[in-house]
Amino acid sequence: MKEQDKIPTSKLSRTGSFLKTGAKVGGNYLKYYSKKIIGEGSEEELHRDNANDIYDSLSKLKGSALKVAQMMSMDDGILPGAFSEKFSQAQYSAPPLSYPLVVKTFRDQLSKSPSEVFESFSKNAHAAASIGQVHKAEQNGKSLAVKVQYPGIADSISSDLRIIKPIVSSMFKISSAELDYYLQEIGARLIEETDYKLELKRSKEIAKSCEHIKGLEFPEYYSEFSSERILSMDWLSGSHLNEFLKLNPDQKTRDQIGQILWDFYDFQIHKLKRVHADPHPGNFLLRKNGTVGVIDFGCIKEFPEDFYLNYFRLMEPGISQDDERFTKLLFDLKFLLKDDSEEEVSYFSKMFQEMHGLLCTPFFADEFNFADEAYFQEIYAMSERYSKDKIVRKAKAARGPKDSLYLTRTYFGLYSLLHKLGANVRTRSLVNEIFD
Amino acid sequence: MEVEINTEEKQISLEERIVEHYKKHLLENGVEPPSIYAFCKDLEIEESEFYDYFNDFHQLAGVFWVHTFKDVKNRMAADVEFANFSVREKLLSFYYGFFEMLKKNRSYALLSFSESKSILNHQPKNLKVLKEEYMDWAKDLVSEGIANEEIAGRLKISDTYNNIFWLQLLFLINFWIKDDSRGFEKTDVAIEKSVHFSFDLIEKNALDSAIDFGKFLFQNR
Repeated sequence: MKEQDKIPTSKLSRTGSFLKTGAKVGGNYLKYYSKKIIGEGSEEELHRDNANDIYDSLSKLKGSALKVAQMMSMDDGILPGAFSEKFSQAQYSAPPLSYPLVVKTFRDQLSKSPSEVFESFSKNAHAAASIGQVHKAEQNGKSLAVKVQYPGIADSISSDLRIIKPIVSSMFKISSAELDYYLQEIGARLIEETDYKLELKRSKEIAKSCEHIKGLEFPEYYSEFSSERILSMDWLSGSHLNEFLKLNPDQKTRDQIGQILWDFYDFQIHKLKRVHADPHPGNFLLRKNGTVGVIDFGCIKEFPEDFYLNYFRLMEPGISQDDERFTKLLFDLKFLLKDDSEEEVSYFSKMFQEMHGLLCTPFFADEFNFADEAYFQEIYAMSERYSKDKIVRKAKAARGPKDSLYLTRTYFGLYSLLHKLGANVRTRSLVNEIFD
Repeated sequence: MEVEINTEEKQISLEERIVEHYKKHLLENGVEPPSIYAFCKDLEIEESEFYDYFNDFHQLAGVFWVHTFKDVKNRMAADVEFANFSVREKLLSFYYGFFEMLKKNRSYALLSFSESKSILNHQPKNLKVLKEEYMDWAKDLVSEGIANEEIAGRLKISDTYNNIFWLQLLFLINFWIKDDSRGFEKTDVAIEKSVHFSFDLIEKNALDSAIDFGKFLFQNR
């Protein structure tokens, strides 16, 4: 009980910016219902209002992120991905779980109240996680982070996806059948995220396979204090990216951290073929001594072998000069579709080639400076150009395999982390092993 | 002296026997016994003995609800953390405890409402005693909330807050009856959201400033 005095509730206020959109959308619903009562509201108007507000905050929140996502997806296919991010953040706007409900969840899941399980347990939530909240507990002289999931999340995912579907569909002019293709993938990941037992298992596995990467730290997970909806782990020290940058770390430290992140992701994608697909700043705890703590393995994407080989075959040096093979790969990966006209084939091939070349630039150098503003400017400019392009805008079909959704999201997240960090990274990659 | 104690024990057990027998009958047959006469015959007691405790089946059915209520209250009182809870947390705790307890007797609880379509429009007679007990408890809770300023004391209006909480309980029971989510998780969400909503209404808010401002204008014009 003493604990509660020490833990400021104000930490929750950092969720403020997400709350704002939540409030706006909530307001739209109220507007809709009040208009409906006097008989003049239309559902379309509601969706339009929602879409506008969500899009507003999406572009504000993500800024350039959204644009690159747009570009990487070629025909906005990734946007459901960006949406899923927005969507999981929308959960932040839920008011924190009351303590009695936390107690109830503990009783349901572990048959004991938190104060019976732990030596001490903070009554107030310390932070909001995407689908739950984090409490701090003490046990055997150690500090633990205890994640408690909101009730009913798993149940609401499919209905929430149904709600955003028409919004996304009208915002980005994707037919709802196309959208289903991507939403299935997103839905599957989101459902997995609600199973903390699975997260515990995967966290342990990835931590073990990556233990050779120096400077990378994973929390210890405690299965005896965990269940489907409760996850207990060590409390890691360190700051999130923005706070870390305020500490003015020197270039050497930035480079070191950037290198760790690069190696960590490279090893996961190209060796384990499964990746922590949520590289947003909140999941990394950075320290001045140049080490990194990684948390939150809720979103793991596993890559099927044939997808992996086809996809990264695109990075084989000189492949884009080999027209026949390159085009075939694009067809195999559904970037090109069999109904495409000749004009479309040549147009999209050229577009993919240009984008791909630019995005893979870091891979083709021994060392890459992610602080390079010009490089990111070039990406945005290209994205801008293509997003305004008539042929791209007219294209109705979704392009690209659904397995690439989380891959591009991961790489994009990683690039953006490294860019903000201003890190100089030796970009040698294990991907080269497939070309030998 | 000894004899008196014995009869009292016998009396308590008869009441319990009646309650248990009624519960068993309802669970196994899905309907109330055809008459008190038939019920007593089945239990092998005199009909007059029945009336020593209950006037009709509604009163008898109400015992389950009152017991559940009292059990939860006792359990909360035994919890060391409970005393330090805010009024909002106490109410939340009560609801979670109440529905946890109901879950153990869901079949029986559902039978309590089989005759009425919506318990919101048509409050079942079975809940009459529960209502009295709950309203008293909620009234104390409201007073506590006003004392510690969690709830805005509003002349006349705040006296009716326990009514709001009663309707809230009925709403939640109704929601729980229809809840088909796994582990009745949606009822948890309904509890959480409805309690937050009700407290947002009854804590000090814009309404109080508006009334205060209006009063000022009225007195100074």
